[in-house]
Amino acid sequence: MERKLKKYGLIFIAIAIILLALFMFYPVLYSFYLSLTSTKLGKTNFVWFANYKRILKDPLFWISLKNTFVILLIQVPIMLFLALILATILNDKSIKFRGFFRTALFLPAVTSLIAYTILFKMLFSYTGLLNTTLMRINLISQPIEWMSNPITAKAVLIIAMIWRWTGYNMVFYLSGMQNISEDIYEAASIDGASKIKSFFTITLPLLRPMILFTTIMSTIGTLQLFDEPMNLSQGGVTAATIGPANSLLTLSVYIYNLSFKYVPNFGYGATVAYVIVLLIGILTLVQFRVGATDDEKEARRLKKQEKLMNRRV
Amino acid sequence: MKRFLLFISVIALSIGLFAACAKSTPDTGSDTSGNQQKDSQDKSGSSDKQKITVWAWDPNFNIAIMNEAASIYKKTHDNVEFEIVEMAKADVEQKLHTTLASKMTEGLPDIVLIEDYNAQKYLQSYPGSFADLTDKLNYNDFAPYKVELMTVDSKVYGIPFDSGVTGFFYRSDILAEAGYNADDLNNITWDRLIEIGKDVKAKTGKAIVSFDKADGGLMRIMLNSSGLWYFDAEGNATISNNEALKEAMETYKKILDADIIIPTSGWNEWVGAFNNGDAASVISGCWITGSVKAATDQSGKWAAAPVPRLNYAESKNASNLGGSSWYILDAAQSKDAAIDFMNEVFGSNVDFYQTILTNNGAVASYLPAIKGSAYSAADEFFGGQAVFADMGKWMNEIPSINYGLYTYEADSAIMSNLEAYLSGSKTVEDALKDAEAQLESQIQ
Amino acid sequence: MKGKIGIPKIFIYLILIVASFLSIFPFFWMITGMTNSAVDIVRGKMTFGTMFIENIRILFSEYDMALVLINSLKVTGFTVVLCLLICSMAAYGFVMYKSKVTQRLYALTMLTMMIPFAALMIPLFQIIVQFKLLNSHFALIITGATSVFIIFFFRQSFVTYPYEIIQAARVDGAGEFRIFFRIFAPSMKSTFFAAAIYAFMTSWNSYMWPLIVLQTNDKRTTTLLISYLSSAYVPQYGVIMTAIVLSTLPIIIIFFAFQKQFVQGMLGSLKA
Repeated sequence: MERKLKKYGLIFIAIAIILLALFMFYPVLYSFYLSLTSTKLGKTNFVWFANYKRILKDPLFWISLKNTFVILLIQVPIMLFLALILATILNDKSIKFRGFFRTALFLPAVTSLIAYTILFKMLFSYTGLLNTTLMRINLISQPIEWMSNPITAKAVLIIAMIWRWTGYNMVFYLSGMQNISEDIYEAASIDGASKIKSFFTITLPLLRPMILFTTIMSTIGTLQLFDEPMNLSQGGVTAATIGPANSLLTLSVYIYNLSFKYVPNFGYGATVAYVIVLLIGILTLVQFRVGATDDEKEARRLKKQEKLMNRRV
Repeated sequence: MKRFLLFISVIALSIGLFAACAKSTPDTGSDTSGNQQKDSQDKSGSSDKQKITVWAWDPNFNIAIMNEAASIYKKTHDNVEFEIVEMAKADVEQKLHTTLASKMTEGLPDIVLIEDYNAQKYLQSYPGSFADLTDKLNYNDFAPYKVELMTVDSKVYGIPFDSGVTGFFYRSDILAEAGYNADDLNNITWDRLIEIGKDVKAKTGKAIVSFDKADGGLMRIMLNSSGLWYFDAEGNATISNNEALKEAMETYKKILDADIIIPTSGWNEWVGAFNNGDAASVISGCWITGSVKAATDQSGKWAAAPVPRLNYAESKNASNLGGSSWYILDAAQSKDAAIDFMNEVFGSNVDFYQTILTNNGAVASYLPAIKGSAYSAADEFFGGQAVFADMGKWMNEIPSINYGLYTYEADSAIMSNLEAYLSGSKTVEDALKDAEAQLESQIQ
Repeated sequence: MKGKIGIPKIFIYLILIVASFLSIFPFFWMITGMTNSAVDIVRGKMTFGTMFIENIRILFSEYDMALVLINSLKVTGFTVVLCLLICSMAAYGFVMYKSKVTQRLYALTMLTMMIPFAALMIPLFQIIVQFKLLNSHFALIITGATSVFIIFFFRQSFVTYPYEIIQAARVDGAGEFRIFFRIFAPSMKSTFFAAAIYAFMTSWNSYMWPLIVLQTNDKRTTTLLISYLSSAYVPQYGVIMTAIVLSTLPIIIIFFAFQKQFVQGMLGSLKA
């Protein structure tokens, strides 16, 4: 019986594993091999870790790394904070039209990445709707060059991403909050806790796994950011820089440029990709550590101790 | 038993899906053969049916011209069929890269359009991928600077197409309103243009040009007019000690500080600014005239002058921006037909060049064509000026340059450091030094 | 307590109204944009115009929007069906048949969730070419048929399922596949709905991979058409807006039709 069940387990996962092996595991390994090679003018050489050394001295790599992290560190916290606030408000059963508000706020998440990026590009263009409106209501006397200034260009990207993803994350928090029993809040309010206080003492701690989940997903998403900067920067592939002064050049776009725009060097492109993998791995680990509850930390500590004890025995 | 049937039906379903998809979405290779079969059945008799596939961008220019060329060729060769695929320029470049890099010949077209700046990159990165046409075409008939760009180790690989000769195209009505006539605008320097721009802004309120800070086009115009480039003849980066480049950067700053431009981002806004009449001129390659003429209500209000020059001693009032050429893939299924087609139309048909000049504003680099009637005709849109005859003259003065492999890398290095200089956080010397460092790390 | 929240209530509604307005406004703009010309859109016209039929005509006759929508529907439809089948089976295998092998494979699978697509692009492209699938929709379907995230999503939901029910079914003599298809899957409907919507959105909105794989215009999907239109030399904003609305509509319809199941499914999966 046991053995037969094991066999069924393998049958159930077989198709997925075969496809993953072909379209995921193999490309991952092959990419690693590529990262040890360098191509110049049609000749590919095996160079061991020379690409990884080269990356340290590559100004464009550092620019793209910096851009990616600036976007990550500004966009993700603002977005998650807004999502949390909106979810808290909508979780209050006494609010009218909750269904309408929830749907309205989630709606941006159905647009494709291309579509909303192009929409925001049009919105923020020099002669675009935003500038015309601001001028019409006399808030500004001259149009603002949103997309020609490195700082505002990045701001536009961040604003667009917040628009697209806040409602999406809000739905996750909302589902998490619905799992928290009303009784806990009632008990707290009887004890005299204010709404704000119970948010910090009840909602936040109980939502911790959900917050961790959304943080990790957003981090992974932002580190792979591609469609938005590519389509927001004018001219896409053929533009000299991605955004003014390369302000929208992200790591994924840089990989794309190294492979498909510049004199092609897939080896070096793969190296940059592997650096992203490394970064995501480290960040996920850190977030897990920070996000873990004290119980989990304690459990991990105990497990380690146990292991040590076993070894000694 | 039941579960077995279920499992088998699931597998059968998957295979069915696979087959259905594979059948309904054949790759281009089998697609072609399918068409060939059908056609040979349709017209029994013409046994060697050929299909030439072309990839290019810009429906109003390259695509329209290719369609014209195809219809001319089809008149005498009814066994040849064309599939002219229009894509965004970026997509053509990306697809060419992916397919050539995977060392696969399937899915490639027979003829592809490549911008001159990128020609050496493709030719040298994928040796053997493009057909050697050294003995197939009479290259003496083409502008030498174009032929130079497609030559590797004294072998020539492409069919030179449009010239990117630059001009200063301006709204004669707006400039006249500010007190400037054609002579005032002939053979000026960039510094003079800035003065004129200030005057125009003060008198008419119009910006002199629309200007995209992130676009390296003007920088390349200024460089090319000086006979210098980002690289020397041996391919070494010459950035920090490049006088023309330094002056070009300083000119960028002067133009911006003078507050005489409409800042734009990207092609759409840039073209929009002069089509709406917000900008009084455009300085670009001759191919822009097509977009200029799109604003039909402005007919007769435009004129053209030579492009401004730098103060740098070698700088001329003539330059080049863009321009592209056709290349034939060596592994193409219809390679010989494609060569014959290009030779017959692009390599010898003077009348064809007159048609595409009139219809599309394509200034050819095929020298016999420039003596044709269309080039000397007066252009009503440009107030009766024989603009294309003028451009033919300017074309002869363009300093010849080898762009090398790394135009995109160099552009990116300059443009990502230019911003810091323009905003005042770096001196021009530092910006150039940093750009050189970035470029050198890119081209190793 | 209740008396205290009079004024903040107004404040809270204000926040909700502003946030909803900001969320919905671009949609409103998109819809008015469908009826306006490029010039009007650039100049900031926000009212309905008369260009709707013209925009639709251009989109359908010059860019073959009908074919593009069919392409997208075909790719997405097949991808979603295959993806649900393959990923749910895999997740079931990982949860219900725990062994050293399945555990290790699951860990390996989860690790790959962090790998950016850009890192896989080149080898993936070479595989597709080797299988002679270049410029075919099947290349998109087969690579989209397994999603590590969806396996993870299913697994999260499946672990809460009482194992006793499966055991009981086995005792009753039901086969493993019958248990999965007849007993287990029907009770997990909302999870399947949520996964289906997620898979639908991912496939429908994907851009980079189709951009690389598809080569001819008769194969292109909605995202490619929108990207193409916006990079065109002559901007036709009205047509772009129309294309954006038409390509977003299917997702909105699907989302509204299955909203309840989607939220329930999300809940079920994220409880764990």
